[in-house]
Amino acid sequence: MSNYSKKRFLVVDDQPQARDALRTVAQTIGAFAVEFGSNYQDAIYRIRNNAPDIILCDYMLGDGRSGQQLLEELRRFNLLPDETIFMMVTGEQSYEQVVSAVELVPDDYIIKPFSPDKLVMRLDRIVAKKNFFAAYYREKRKQEFANALDILEAQRQSEAGRPYRFEIMRQQAEVLLRNGDAKAAEAAYRSILEDYEFPWARAGVARSLHRQNRLTEARQEIDRVVASTPHFFDAADLKANICMALGEHAEAQQILDEIAKKTPRNYLRKRLLAEAATLNGDAETARAALADVIANDTMPGAIAAKDRLAMARSHVDANDKISGEKVLVTMRDAEVQAMTLDEQAGFAALLAICSPERGKARFVGLRPALLETDLEPTTRIDVLRAALSIGDHELADRHAEIMMGGSDAKKVFGALRTQYALYGREKDFREIQKQVALKRIHQIEAEKTQTEA
Amino acid sequence: MHHLLDILASGVHDAKNQLFVAESVIAALEAEHGIAMGEARYAIESAANRLSRTLAAYQVLRKDAAPAVTPVIVGDLCDEVVMAQQRHLALANITLSMDCQVIDEWLLDRDLVADMLNNAIQNAGRYAQGKVHLQADVEDGWLLIRIEDDGPGFPSLPPPYGTGLMVAHRLAALHVRKGREGSLHLSNDASLGGARFELRLP
Repeated sequence: MSNYSKKRFLVVDDQPQARDALRTVAQTIGAFAVEFGSNYQDAIYRIRNNAPDIILCDYMLGDGRSGQQLLEELRRFNLLPDETIFMMVTGEQSYEQVVSAVELVPDDYIIKPFSPDKLVMRLDRIVAKKNFFAAYYREKRKQEFANALDILEAQRQSEAGRPYRFEIMRQQAEVLLRNGDAKAAEAAYRSILEDYEFPWARAGVARSLHRQNRLTEARQEIDRVVASTPHFFDAADLKANICMALGEHAEAQQILDEIAKKTPRNYLRKRLLAEAATLNGDAETARAALADVIANDTMPGAIAAKDRLAMARSHVDANDKISGEKVLVTMRDAEVQAMTLDEQAGFAALLAICSPERGKARFVGLRPALLETDLEPTTRIDVLRAALSIGDHELADRHAEIMMGGSDAKKVFGALRTQYALYGREKDFREIQKQVALKRIHQIEAEKTQTEA
Repeated sequence: MHHLLDILASGVHDAKNQLFVAESVIAALEAEHGIAMGEARYAIESAANRLSRTLAAYQVLRKDAAPAVTPVIVGDLCDEVVMAQQRHLALANITLSMDCQVIDEWLLDRDLVADMLNNAIQNAGRYAQGKVHLQADVEDGWLLIRIEDDGPGFPSLPPPYGTGLMVAHRLAALHVRKGREGSLHLSNDASLGGARFELRLP
């Protein structure tokens, strides 16, 4: 048995009685330092300030939040070191269904009631497993992905790795995807599926296909997952993203609308809903979702310049330029200066749209950079709109051409067409489309000649 | 659609939370005063398992039970079952032994299978004279988990098919992999001379 007297425990539960019970159990197994997190926010605050060694977290946290959501948020914001033990505690049998399906899982879960002995047994095993993966965690943290993959492959073939084979394969697939090798990640997930139809592995295939821009196939794979595991919310997010990439914005919005109702305090999902609604031309839904995010996402540092720009954008979409301007001008100079080039471009473009007298000069000043810089599709649309509004055809057409020739063409097509139509330039847009298509054909033919030669 | 199930599940959930509070208080008293109250804790856990099994039975009868399959280290699973039952059986002078020959992970619903094994060991303990044995092996690509005792064996075979047994058979069959389905076999072939419970999982 490991020595738990020197470990720092954090017990997260919104019910005082249950919290006391968990602390009692932790103390019975030798823990001295047991902190409490009385709610979601408090737990995040404590973990951020000083990550504990062991987190015992109840699945039901009240107030529309779950331990699973806490875990997901901690992982996404990189607040949970791989070395920290996260144990979900639950009286709900249904949590097993979640664990067996989703991509982000705790180190283990334990069903109430349980004895201190059983908790020790479970914790000891997690400690052993974390020791087994220690070298891999180090390389992963340094983002030395090639080294991390070498370690995993050696472990997969080792005798000591036999009890952890699936975890090794899962980590391999995740690292491959993180390292940008979507094709290899797809193969890794598929080899896991040969053993069993795990929803998380099928979702991994869809994610890898999405990264390869093989959208129709990605769509088929994720449809299977969503249909069979409705409680796997991340899969629904992924499906919505794939739908957006395919230009099916109404469906994306509908999917997100539905699950956002079930997870009302998941603000990453609310942001995604706003994105889908924006693309779908539903400015009011986007406005409401973003207002909710900005008012209620209390995750420290969560509200970024990107969110304020999205808020301003949705006001513009709703034809409420005054509110858009208000959002933009309340951003402090320091905040604007700290923005990425992409965000600065978006800021300048949106301000030029909302208030030409306040924003046009800045926007025009950025023009040389805007012609040359590689920008996110959302920002490109902002720039294109601002350019159209001031009659800068060259700048607008340049961004339209790049977007229509790129991998986001289906995603942004509707938005571009709408913008060109607003300025009576439908014909010009069709011409851009035609030129892009011709260029593509020439390219394919050139590639063909090359291969034949 | 699942309104009734939600009500039942939430009731079971609350009851288990209460039972956990009770167990933690007992565990604290044990630690503080150095007294063994394992039987009280055993009773609490058995009650909780009974509640879970009732809920599982309801889902099975409604045909909307789905296994939550994860990779499980079979030795760990056996250790937990032994830990849960050994002390209680010892009080009745029954020795619970275990031999797990499986090194690799197996894909199964950990809580469902643990519950089935706990239940089977409790049953074996009722009829055993002095020995119950838990054995895990892999044969022809099947995981075989057997529980045997040295009691008189089943009076008739197959044994009377009650709800509990029906549910256990169904839960075993929910484990499907590569076209093969899990199953449950009851016999009097125990090497200890008594009854044998055999769970076969693909």
